[in-house]
Amino acid sequence: MNWPAFVLTVRLASLTALILLLLSVPIALWIVFSQRRWKFLAESVIAMPLVLPPTVIGFYLLIAFGRGTALGRWYEHVMGTTMAFTFQGLVIASVLYSLPFAVHPMVSGFRAVDQKLIAAARTLGAGKAKIYWRIVLPLAWPSLITALVLSFAHTVGEFGVVLMVGGNIPGVTRTLSIDIYDQVQALNYASASQTALVLLVFSYFLLCVVYGLNSQRTLFWGSK
Amino acid sequence: MLDVEFQAASGVTVIFGPSGAGKSTILQCLAGLLRPDSGRVSIGGETVFDSSRKINIPAQLRRVGYLFQDLALFPHMTAAENIGFGIRVNGQEKVRRVEEMLERFHISRVAAHRPEEISGGERQRVALARALATEPRLLLLDEPFSALDDSLKRGIMADLKQWLGSTGVPALFVTHDRSEAEALGQRMLLLHEGKIAGSEEF
Repeated sequence: MNWPAFVLTVRLASLTALILLLLSVPIALWIVFSQRRWKFLAESVIAMPLVLPPTVIGFYLLIAFGRGTALGRWYEHVMGTTMAFTFQGLVIASVLYSLPFAVHPMVSGFRAVDQKLIAAARTLGAGKAKIYWRIVLPLAWPSLITALVLSFAHTVGEFGVVLMVGGNIPGVTRTLSIDIYDQVQALNYASASQTALVLLVFSYFLLCVVYGLNSQRTLFWGSK
Repeated sequence: MLDVEFQAASGVTVIFGPSGAGKSTILQCLAGLLRPDSGRVSIGGETVFDSSRKINIPAQLRRVGYLFQDLALFPHMTAAENIGFGIRVNGQEKVRRVEEMLERFHISRVAAHRPEEISGGERQRVALARALATEPRLLLLDEPFSALDDSLKRGIMADLKQWLGSTGVPALFVTHDRSEAEALGQRMLLLHEGKIAGSEEF
């Protein structure tokens, strides 16, 4: 087991999941409650990482944050380094790559909140902010946990984007999934198998948390 | 299609008609939950909707109490929290107002319980207290008593009648139950296929 790679992976996934939790709540609220007709365009952008090859996302990120663009020059000015081959670069890439895994569970959670409750809250004088804080988020909190767990797990499992944006620098950008690839390349099957098993068990455990939580959902507040 | 014109004085005006006649739709337009294609709605002299002048005050500013058919109590809040939700003051004053409503509707016993933990009649009273705690200018009742048995219904309607009498707030009461209509209402509008087909005084 490559422990530095393990620590790096957990650090990357935790940071990504936390950023996504904060970022996705307003996005999901907007998707569910906005009346705008063109919001499907934004929804499609958010869902892109589900269908695009990770290498394509990585490629465009490298271009977007390269020295050839204003964004890239601004990033270099603020961070003191270009994005490629850094841990921060990996975090940015992971946030984009796992975005649908955080937004989609929240969208379905928020949508499941009974419209009658929202109507009742409005007649009781509640504006949007109060409805979100006091009604929607408390009733849909299992979907926030699902979003957190899925974006964490998905980040742990990413490979193509990491390789494109981060490369394979020990302690900086070498995550577990890259480490496994390295081990196999070096015909070091015993070590690869050990790491792979850890990821397998870990992924199964996280998915059990997600599905267990969702099957219990009606127990929390009832369905009335 | 719904096309109606009426005025409701203080007291309880019943909107009576078969299901599908557009009774609930009228209430939703008054509360601001639905937007009529055209027309005018005013409450207590204030115009809250006027299609020709492009006025549409949002629901949360209309100060209209709404009692839903399925009550729509917030399942994650206690009875007291439900009642306090719409009260516009904070701190001690809010606590006092919630206690007053709990006592007035005889539900102090269940103040700390969530809706799923209390009986149907108690839920009804919590929903009523929640709608009235905001001191609405108009109360809308959308068949809220249809699920209750007669003795529970009578008790709640008596408390409601007393509250409406003491505050002078007008109420619109949607029902398809003639005995409910006569027990609570002062006058009745008959709704048929989206139009007012007649009216009656009690």
